[in-house]
Amino acid sequence: MTARKSGSRLETEIERCRSEAQWDKIPELVRQLSAKLISNDDLGELLLGECKLQTYLKENPIKQGTSPRVQRPKLLEVRKHLTAALDRGNLKPDYIQEASLLMAKLCYVEGEYKDALGHYSKVNLDDMQLAGAPVYRLSMIAESYATKGLCLEKVPAASPSLSNKNAGSPASNRSMTEREQEIITCYEKSGDIALLYLQEAEKVCSGIQNRSPKPGPTAQDQELGYFLETGLQRAHVIHFKNGNLTQGVGRFREILRAIETRTTQNLRMTIARQLAEILLRGMCEQSYWSPVEDPPVVSPLDDPTRQGHTHSKSYSLSRRPRVYSGENLFCPQENTEEALLLLLISESMANRDAVLSRIPEHNNDRIISLQSASVVYDLLTIALGRRGQYEMLSECLERAMKFAFEEFHLWYQLALSLMAAGKSARAVKVLKECIRLKPDDPTIPLLAVKLCIGPLHWLDEGECFAKMVIDMGEKAAEFRAKGYLAIGLVYSLKATDASLRSTQEEYQRKALGAFQRAQSLSPTDHLAAFYLALQLAVSRQIPEALGYVRQALQLQGDDVHSLHLLALLLSAQKHYHDALNIIEMALSEYPENFNLLYTKVKLEAMCRGPEEALLTCKHMLQIWKSFYNLTNPSDSGRGSSLLDRAIADRRQLNAMTLPDFSDPETGRYTHLKSTCSATLTLLVFPPCFLFVSSHLTSIFSFFLPLIHSSIIAPPLSQEVQICSVHATSIAASRVEQALSEVASSLQSSAPKHGPLHPWMTLAQIWLHAAEVYMGMSKPAEATACTQEAANLFPTSHNVLYMRGQIAELRGNIDEAKRWYEEALSINPTHVKTMQRLGLILHQLQRYSLSEKVLRDAVQVNSTAHDVWNSLGEVLQAQGNAAAATECFLTALELEASSPILPFTIIPRAL
Amino acid sequence: MLAMDQGVVEEWLSEFKTLPDSAVSTYAASLKDKGALVPALYKVIRENYSDLLEPVCHQLFEFYRSGEPQLQRFTLQFLPELLWSLLSVSAARDPHTSGCIEALLLGIYNLEIVDKDGQSKVLSFTVPSLSKPSVYHEPSTIGSMALTEGALANHGLSRVVYSGPHLQRETFTAQNRFEVLTFLLLCYNAALSYMSSTSLQSLCQLSSRVCICGYPRQQMRRYKGINTRLTVTSEFLVQLITGIHYALCNGEVDLGSKALDDVLYRAQLELFPEALLVGNAIKSSLHSAALKSNNKEGARSIQVEITPTSSRISRNAVTSLSIRGHRWKRHDAVDLGSPDELMDISEVDEGVWPGGAGPDMTPPTITISNSVTTLNLGAKAMKKCRLGGRTSKDKDKEAGPLMPGRAASENTELSVKRLTLTSSQSVPKAGALTSLTRTASAVFSRSFEHVASGNAPPSSNHTTSEAGRYSCSLQEEGLAYLSPAPNHTQRSPSISVHLGSDL
Repeated sequence: MTARKSGSRLETEIERCRSEAQWDKIPELVRQLSAKLISNDDLGELLLGECKLQTYLKENPIKQGTSPRVQRPKLLEVRKHLTAALDRGNLKPDYIQEASLLMAKLCYVEGEYKDALGHYSKVNLDDMQLAGAPVYRLSMIAESYATKGLCLEKVPAASPSLSNKNAGSPASNRSMTEREQEIITCYEKSGDIALLYLQEAEKVCSGIQNRSPKPGPTAQDQELGYFLETGLQRAHVIHFKNGNLTQGVGRFREILRAIETRTTQNLRMTIARQLAEILLRGMCEQSYWSPVEDPPVVSPLDDPTRQGHTHSKSYSLSRRPRVYSGENLFCPQENTEEALLLLLISESMANRDAVLSRIPEHNNDRIISLQSASVVYDLLTIALGRRGQYEMLSECLERAMKFAFEEFHLWYQLALSLMAAGKSARAVKVLKECIRLKPDDPTIPLLAVKLCIGPLHWLDEGECFAKMVIDMGEKAAEFRAKGYLAIGLVYSLKATDASLRSTQEEYQRKALGAFQRAQSLSPTDHLAAFYLALQLAVSRQIPEALGYVRQALQLQGDDVHSLHLLALLLSAQKHYHDALNIIEMALSEYPENFNLLYTKVKLEAMCRGPEEALLTCKHMLQIWKSFYNLTNPSDSGRGSSLLDRAIADRRQLNAMTLPDFSDPETGRYTHLKSTCSATLTLLVFPPCFLFVSSHLTSIFSFFLPLIHSSIIAPPLSQEVQICSVHATSIAASRVEQALSEVASSLQSSAPKHGPLHPWMTLAQIWLHAAEVYMGMSKPAEATACTQEAANLFPTSHNVLYMRGQIAELRGNIDEAKRWYEEALSINPTHVKTMQRLGLILHQLQRYSLSEKVLRDAVQVNSTAHDVWNSLGEVLQAQGNAAAATECFLTALELEASSPILPFTIIPRAL
Repeated sequence: MLAMDQGVVEEWLSEFKTLPDSAVSTYAASLKDKGALVPALYKVIRENYSDLLEPVCHQLFEFYRSGEPQLQRFTLQFLPELLWSLLSVSAARDPHTSGCIEALLLGIYNLEIVDKDGQSKVLSFTVPSLSKPSVYHEPSTIGSMALTEGALANHGLSRVVYSGPHLQRETFTAQNRFEVLTFLLLCYNAALSYMSSTSLQSLCQLSSRVCICGYPRQQMRRYKGINTRLTVTSEFLVQLITGIHYALCNGEVDLGSKALDDVLYRAQLELFPEALLVGNAIKSSLHSAALKSNNKEGARSIQVEITPTSSRISRNAVTSLSIRGHRWKRHDAVDLGSPDELMDISEVDEGVWPGGAGPDMTPPTITISNSVTTLNLGAKAMKKCRLGGRTSKDKDKEAGPLMPGRAASENTELSVKRLTLTSSQSVPKAGALTSLTRTASAVFSRSFEHVASGNAPPSSNHTTSEAGRYSCSLQEEGLAYLSPAPNHTQRSPSISVHLGSDL
């Protein structure tokens, strides 16, 4: 450019000051300039006019949304300077253009829009060079386009003094559209050039000062000013106002794709958030197009009444702002992806601006920073929640914590996200803070109880939280019943855990009271009736329980747990066929419910013989396979696969009371009534089970390797070394946990991951099959099945217990005893093992030790009728006939109300 | 039902049957001109016993099966109404089960869960990461702050499945009902922009009714239909909320906000964290939006204004950013590349520590996993770090230093920033090593990858040489772990340093 070539130091200095908007230095420089050459007077006029106009605008900034109409006298001087510069005509063409543009700007500021447009028509803005232009001129061109757009918006289209001369028929629709198009093009060009200007300005700035781009208050922040702000944003504002979403989104993306500068950071943050809002609120997967694609010609996003008014981008610039480029750039392919990317960018900026100081002077700043951040976090929640990515969400929300002091919303959202991500312990801690901030909301303590009862098994904490809800009284309204339900569940679980009979009974009594209260407060809640029934069943009040379970079923006919309980209650009354019918009915609605299927196996073995039961076992394996084998191995984790999701519902993992062999009430294929005469031997199974259909066995054993080879890949069975199949005894699972840690650390450094729940289910199925084979007196098949379970969980006490039983069946009493002892070393309160061990000790004539073991077992579970029976036998053998009789009577009485599987296999959760 | 409506529907039924394949797309485009048709079809679906219901369902399924997007959307617009019809019938335990509606819904489901080759479809998306350049950003400008351990844990872009694979379903059961319906809503939500306002209204009504029937709020809403409670799942509610959110922002303000309230009410009663989370977020984000633009005009409430570009936060307020700069200066002496790291060098054997060793002796090298800096550290500086303990901890991070002995499982949950440090002179105590190596080696691959791909830190020339050193140190750590006997003091040249900073 000419200005450059003449490049005296003075001119360079002037250019620098203009670029850096140091208007206060201009008058002095002009004085030096005019001392040199006469012809420079005109340039001096131009510069003085510019600096006075800019200084005025800096001191009296125009506010967005207002139209300036400054009284002429104030800017009279400016006009004088500019007129002088233009009139004499001695200036170089570049400077003449600049003077005209400044004049036009002045006219706009004074409200003379037509005059301004007149000036613009003299200068062809499109012809002004962008390549190689000094930085200040880029800004000037950008401002001019914006100003022109502003003027065009003000001046009615029909006006004759239009720059658009071929607007033939005034007020026609066509010219309106053209007019709008022209306005938008002005703004879009202005915005593009403004971005270019800012990029260049930053380059020059960092080049001169060689300062690291480290942000800090030292570097003078460049302010955009009214015109550039308008130029950058007005185009998309018009698009959205016109309901032209596609164009608006396109414009947003253009601005965001330009490489950021310090000055555009705030703009980018706002625009990124706004674009994310639009993507989440106004778009769907099918109407989305990616940022590098052309927008669809017809889109449902655009206002249909204005369809056809779509403007195509019709201009080109000789130089465009630089955009992010390079190889392997991530480009979103979906609306959620793009929204997430934008929100993460916004978040990083909002986070950076978090006001940390808490002094009162900064209150306002803090509120601003909090607001802008919480909008971003809310949108992140919407986007990630839609895609089920709660784990990532909880990490994001944890970053929001620096804003969260005394902010309930942020705390609560964090708690919920932790809960959804399965991070229960942390969730409870955060919920405590939420309770402190909002003590009147009953939902929060209830959420905490839910976690305490479920995955955490923190019953004491759970009790506290539940009491909070109850203490709210009438204020808790509909949640009051829920509070009683919660505390009832806590007591009920405590009763199960308690090792002393008196404590057990105390908790059972409390639980019953709480459930009754819940039921009376909310008689239409099937859960209240159901848990009341369950609690009554556990305390063996079978007829009462039946009444309430029927009530629960009337309220919620297809509730799986109510149906299951009904079946178990019927089995306790020895109506096995009815129970089986109920189970089959329930299974028609819940064909993949393993809990129901376990019960079905037991009932079938009882009513229809072991062949049927084995078929059911086979069916379970098939279900298991189709259910969990769908998992796509190429998934990259993070709660995506079916297996992961199965585990994501962690409430089930720990709370799920699998039909545990440890439970003393487990149905045995015996009727004590027939064998009670103290002649009960090791042969627990009725003789009918001895008839074996051999072909069935072959079917089953055919199935065995099939399942084995296809599902349990070696690495997996290695990884899942040890684990608890058991949930009632926490101590046992702790031991196993510790053991598994040791085991896994010995294995490899690879973190032990992978959900256990499906594998636990599989192990359960094998153990059930083993038990059926045991009933058929087929130790070889039973061993094979047990081995399958052992491959998954070698140190599970259930597996060891089963091995002991097989050894017993084979007549290896010593081996059986060893297995039982091992099982008890893992879970010392495994009642069924205790019972078997007691019997063996009895056989070995070690009566007092046997009595001790059995008495311990009765302490742990006082409703185990077979333990009472065994105890009776031991006492009889010791000659204590009176005590023996009592035991037998108790056993008989308990047996009369004993279900085929313990009632506690039904999960108890809020 | 009026005879006229019936006529319209019957005409529609017969028209499509006779249509040649070539005319399907023009026919699809012409559907929206039939003004009376859609309301008439709604009536058919609402009146459960209409004779027309079965042929209508059949034809809607044919539309869907045609694969023509416009026809598919035509069917989809009735989805909320169909869902409600199905749910209300099943809740009322009506013997008149609407078999044809079930068949239609299952048909759509079974079509949608497979791709065109008949393979199970898996819906997935990429989780963007700020540590990878994108069309909108450059990782270096974001700064190390956003590249926290969370971002690093997902270093690189991970593809995540959010729905599928699903099983084919032949019948509705209580167990699979909501799984199928949730998936159908997902399909509906994918086409939300194409849905008419009637359809969106129907979705809002469905949401309200599903959530309040049988609860005290039903009286408040004065809805008199069935009054038994319907079971719902959290995922189903989240999908409903997604649709409601769209409706709320696209003209259905009244119905939409009622529906949102009802869903939240139910989510509270059921204690569903997922639905509460998303619902609260929508409520809060709309609340702030409503304050800004007080417009009552329906249409689209997507509003954009010109916003000031300068920061609204005053310069002298202490922000996360300014406090970082502050901190940086304080540590100039040590010149730790990343001042926000918390250093917690666990037990280092003093005796073997090179006493007055200057930086010229093979210096220990720190690689900080969350900032792309690799730097050298003199032994002096090193010592300072160790003595200072947690001198350079950011105040905005909440928790204290990670105890070396803490269980590894907790480490992963808290996803702690880690740092691996190797030094050829010093020797760790075996005990300290044991707990650290596990975590160190677990994060090794990531931190190394990051270093390797890091862009030009001041001492980037170290990166390449570091690669070799790292792999060897890792090996030794492994050995050390397996044989924590004292004899390894001879050869193990590695220390693990734990830089934990909980976020």
